[in-house]
Amino acid sequence: MEEILRLENINKSYSGVKVLYDVNLSLSKGEVLCLAGENGAGKSTLIKILSGAETPDSGKLTIKGHEYQKMQPAEAINLGIVTIYQDVDLVDTLTVADNIFLNNEIMKHGFIVDKDEEIKEAQRLLDSLNMKIKADSLVSDLSPGQKQNLQIAKAMHKKAEILILDEPTASLGEEETEALIRLVEKLRNDGLGIIYISHYLDEIFTLGDTVLVLKDGHHVVTRKISETTEDQLIHDMVGRDTSAMYKRKAYYSRGDNALKVSHLSRGKRVHDITLSVSRGEILGIGGLVGAGRTEFVRLIAGADKAESGTVELDGRDITPSDPKDGIRNGISYISEDRKGEGLFLLRSAKENIGIIKNNRKKIALNLPEEDKDVREQIEKLSIKVFSPEQEVSTLSGGNQQKVAVSRWLLANGDIFIFDEPSKGVDIGAREEIYQIMENLAEQGKIILMVSSTMTELISMSDRIAVMREGELVTVVDRKDFSEDYLLKLYIQSNKEEERK
Amino acid sequence: MSLPQKKEFRIPQWLMLLIVILAISVITAIINPRFLRINNIMNIFEQISVLGLVAVGATIIIISGNFDISVGAIIGLSACVMAICINAGMNSFLASLVCILISMSCTTLNGVLSILFKAPSFIISLATTSIFTGLGLFITKGVIRTVYGQFDFLSKTRLFGFIPLLFIICLLGFVMVHLLLKYTQVGRRLFAFGCNTRAAYLAGIDIVKNKLLFFAMNGFFVGLAAILLLSRVGAALPSTGSGYELEAMGAVVIGGVSINGGKGDVIGPFFGVLLMGLISNVLNILGVNPYLQEIASGIIIILSLGISVLRTKKD
Repeated sequence: MEEILRLENINKSYSGVKVLYDVNLSLSKGEVLCLAGENGAGKSTLIKILSGAETPDSGKLTIKGHEYQKMQPAEAINLGIVTIYQDVDLVDTLTVADNIFLNNEIMKHGFIVDKDEEIKEAQRLLDSLNMKIKADSLVSDLSPGQKQNLQIAKAMHKKAEILILDEPTASLGEEETEALIRLVEKLRNDGLGIIYISHYLDEIFTLGDTVLVLKDGHHVVTRKISETTEDQLIHDMVGRDTSAMYKRKAYYSRGDNALKVSHLSRGKRVHDITLSVSRGEILGIGGLVGAGRTEFVRLIAGADKAESGTVELDGRDITPSDPKDGIRNGISYISEDRKGEGLFLLRSAKENIGIIKNNRKKIALNLPEEDKDVREQIEKLSIKVFSPEQEVSTLSGGNQQKVAVSRWLLANGDIFIFDEPSKGVDIGAREEIYQIMENLAEQGKIILMVSSTMTELISMSDRIAVMREGELVTVVDRKDFSEDYLLKLYIQSNKEEERK
Repeated sequence: MSLPQKKEFRIPQWLMLLIVILAISVITAIINPRFLRINNIMNIFEQISVLGLVAVGATIIIISGNFDISVGAIIGLSACVMAICINAGMNSFLASLVCILISMSCTTLNGVLSILFKAPSFIISLATTSIFTGLGLFITKGVIRTVYGQFDFLSKTRLFGFIPLLFIICLLGFVMVHLLLKYTQVGRRLFAFGCNTRAAYLAGIDIVKNKLLFFAMNGFFVGLAAILLLSRVGAALPSTGSGYELEAMGAVVIGGVSINGGKGDVIGPFFGVLLMGLISNVLNILGVNPYLQEIASGIIIILSLGISVLRTKKD
């Protein structure tokens, strides 16, 4: 088969953190290449480079025989590379035909949009793809699966030759998933080159011709699907050098089950979760992105309000109604979205660190006390600032995270919730943050840690709660920790389970 | 690991303004020495005191990430009511309290509506501007309300025989808010709120209560400004205060407060107000056509916005 796309030695880093190392990829016409890897392995970055949304630091792109150092998004589309992301980008208030011809309208008399012609053309296209969509219906009336289809139709209208699908079935039901898989098969037979990202192994094995495995930004291996097995693939995805792991000194769980969460629910993302955590314990919470982990811990912190269920501490009901309420009961929530909802970037390190404790003051601040507190934290966590007055936006990711953590250390609550504690944090600082977490456990604090990094979960946790599609699958004990087993729990689809 | 960068030295905004103010003063004094007369300088101080208080309130609102462009209309409304009260024989102290109360109710209403409809306060206050103006017209029946000779002790009083009391009141307003921003928990909340409202919420700051507090504080200073204005002019119309809202916002932004909220102080706005008062005085002294003066004040606001954009870009 004729090769239409080749990547050679692609490297990419974000603000000093390297996310792709020498990745190679080759795609031919009529091939489905699956990208596999854990959360944060670099899959998204790779497709962003392909679609022109990101520029690689080094490496070569060869598309249909032409070499490129980098691409603009518009260039990529002109070359026939169309990426379909999880979050559908369609204009809901326009019709299907309008969306297909958006920015490329059929005109009559030079300046009037020829609606009838557009609808006729669009319907012909939809029919040729076996899509059961009416060209004159409003996009807001379509189902998620139909929207996904429409995106593909739009891509075909743009004469796509390389189609990149980023977890296209993530929000689809079973029937729609099957229909989508049939569609992708048809497109492959029509000669398109397809890059398909999915967490679901059964989809990879049904659809894929080849699979490229990424791990921590490294290109592990490219295998022919016909020559591999599910277990082999899981091993490729998780197997790694264990020396990179943080080594805990000891485990401190007091076994008192002090924090009890019962039947906590909110919408579709968190459904009836019951679990308990002891003082001195670090409970890891694992699962795929979108499994509802963040949504779950936000309910405990009061960042969102639970629709039903309770949170109890030592038998006392502390189900928070808002963050203020949660803080009053000693709950600290260190958000995953540090810049969006953690830090006050334009303000000084001092104000950021002091915010929770100062909030307890009635009117006047105690500036000398604040100064002492802040300097103590800066020293204890070795936060690299030239003065407590330094603006937080000028700090590195690791130091920003330390600032975000230190405000809660100063507030000295009982419960600490870390959501992706090492996200965007360099390796050195990561170690220090783990140290802080272990110290908290030693002091008898209750710690919950949402993490998408396997090594982090396995090396830090006393136990790991696995979530999938808003539900608690199981809580894994330390003796059963293994990356293969956890990943299996993450990605086993519910359908599969029902079959068993 | 990245080491902390070297601290770059940046001239504080107020110092920049002070330099500009001194430069303009020197040039004007050379052209027309009359400018330096103590009487003229005290005149400038007296003239900026109303604008100053409006700017004090606007500083709070803008740092919180909001806008209130109805303050001009609120000045008109509360000054009219106050004039009516005085005419009806109310003691002028009580009438002043009524004035402040009305002003605070109006600004708080802006806050309430903005929260209720989850709408930007800019849009809400745009709408309430015409409500407040209309209310003022209805109450006064469109007739000017005069209080000549009944309420001029504020504007006539000069400390040590030369410092206008109005300016002292305005200065007190600046000092109050300066202390509020630097030394109180409300100040910290204000910056946190304006900088990142979601983060403030997660840090346990009551978003609704504090937003209303910021708007109410703005109302206090606006009410005070209305009292000063009535005392100076001796008469009120519903349109008396129009234009102050934009001039004050201009002064605040020239003073280095970020229009995106979360950053700034009240010292910069003080010099911003002083600069605006100075420029209008200088243009007068140099005999520039009053219509052109209007154009000049618009240009100053545009220049200041430009500076603000450049500053935030650098960050």
